[in-house]
Amino acid sequence: NTDEAGAGQSIQKTYDLTRYLEHQLRTLAGTYLNYLGPPFNEPDFNPPRMTRAEMVPSATVDFELWRSLNDNARLAANYRAYTHLLCYLRGMDGQVAKADLRKSLGHFCSSLQGLVVSIAGVMSSLGYPLPGSLGSTDPAWAHGPGPISPHNDFLKKMDDFWLLKELQTWLWRSAKDFNRLKKKVPPAAVTLRLEAQG
Amino acid sequence: QRHSQQDTRVQYERIGADVTMKCGAMDWDAAVTWTVNGSDIDESHLNGSYLVLRNVHLGHSGQYSCYEGSSWHLKYQTSLKVGTPPKEPVLMCRSNNYPKRFYCSWHLPSPTYIPNTFNISVIHGTREMVCEKEAVPKNRCHIRYLQLFSTVKYKVTLTVTNALGRNSTTITFDEFAIVKPDPPENVVAKPVPYSPRRLEVRWNNPSSWPDPESFPLKFFLRYRPLILDQWQHVELSDGTSHTITDAYAGKEYIIQVAAKDNDIGTWSDWSVAVHATPWTEEPKYLTTEAQAPETTTSSTSSFVPPPTTKICDQEKVVGS
Repeated sequence: NTDEAGAGQSIQKTYDLTRYLEHQLRTLAGTYLNYLGPPFNEPDFNPPRMTRAEMVPSATVDFELWRSLNDNARLAANYRAYTHLLCYLRGMDGQVAKADLRKSLGHFCSSLQGLVVSIAGVMSSLGYPLPGSLGSTDPAWAHGPGPISPHNDFLKKMDDFWLLKELQTWLWRSAKDFNRLKKKVPPAAVTLRLEAQG
Repeated sequence: QRHSQQDTRVQYERIGADVTMKCGAMDWDAAVTWTVNGSDIDESHLNGSYLVLRNVHLGHSGQYSCYEGSSWHLKYQTSLKVGTPPKEPVLMCRSNNYPKRFYCSWHLPSPTYIPNTFNISVIHGTREMVCEKEAVPKNRCHIRYLQLFSTVKYKVTLTVTNALGRNSTTITFDEFAIVKPDPPENVVAKPVPYSPRRLEVRWNNPSSWPDPESFPLKFFLRYRPLILDQWQHVELSDGTSHTITDAYAGKEYIIQVAAKDNDIGTWSDWSVAVHATPWTEEPKYLTTEAQAPETTTSSTSSFVPPPTTKICDQEKVVGS
């Protein structure tokens, strides 16, 4: 159980899962963008971000702010982002005509769900509360994808393009986050902290 | 006695152009003398009092003066500079100290022979970023990463202008695509006592890499005996040392290391090469009884690479 595994191992597993997802997504994104076809699968395609794509949780963060995040805030940001990215991804999953691609997306969604659970596990093993109901200060995307507004196929594809790109960037950021945590939270130290909290 | 009190003007002309200079306000048929850099110009170049230079080349650059025939008053003076308009500049951006900064550097594919001014603009989304210029090298400036993990591309436009024209180039890139560390430093290779097939290699992170804790580097080590051309490679994702265990006994080795961010960007160039030879047993002094039949080995002993070694040609990957 969690005590035995300890937060250190839990963080290591979360880190390894993040790297695995990074690797999986690289292939999946390539396949999906080819499925969307040109211009989406062209390397230099750089479309503007439409309003819906702005709703996708952005990994972009101020450099100094990111460095100064404490462990709780760092984990909470990850947890919240993947919770919502998962909703968006499931939205994509249901609309793919190609069965094998749909299957890959489904498998990826399950793995991503595993990451959310894993992050929750790390947070609880470190004694941190899971991000609960969303306050007013939360960014616009924090309230989920909202009603899928009817708009044309090209704009839908643009949203998917940005979702995949944002997801790839989150996984890259998370790998750095969990790498930092790995080094900051050796198993021994954590056990002492838990005991101190009684 | 020639009187020269004019302030010099500068005149730029393209290579190959035809240039006509008037002698200030002097009439066409006035008697004048033209000089270039103090030497009289042959009358064949004159059309009345006008100086005509056809299909100018770099050699035509110089100080041209026109004196009134009788009073030798200086009536006109110009510094002619012959050159070319700028071609499209070559622009490159790179981050060797991610995530602190990245720099952009540029050059012209061919000289213009006249002064050029460069202007660079760096746009990230809707934000214009400051490119801090340095005294040396002149054609480089640095941009601070204000945000990390951005999906928005950077757009850098360089405009070059001189008296004969203007040109520009624009590149766009993702934050992570331009990350290329400097090579590893202080590479040291040593034999391992009593291990004739081992070499111990150590190195440091490039000192320019600011935060190896948060942004760990992985490494690529290549090594080969001097007498072979084929490199052997090993990729290392942790730590800054490695022990080569399949070296050929007694052969001098050349060793290099390259670095890359664990997740993003491209490989650094190869480090400085170091040489080492595995440990060999001290030759024992043979007494007459113990004289063992000499096994002659040809000076260039032929040997087959150990089957365990996976030789892969990563040449194209590193430093490209």
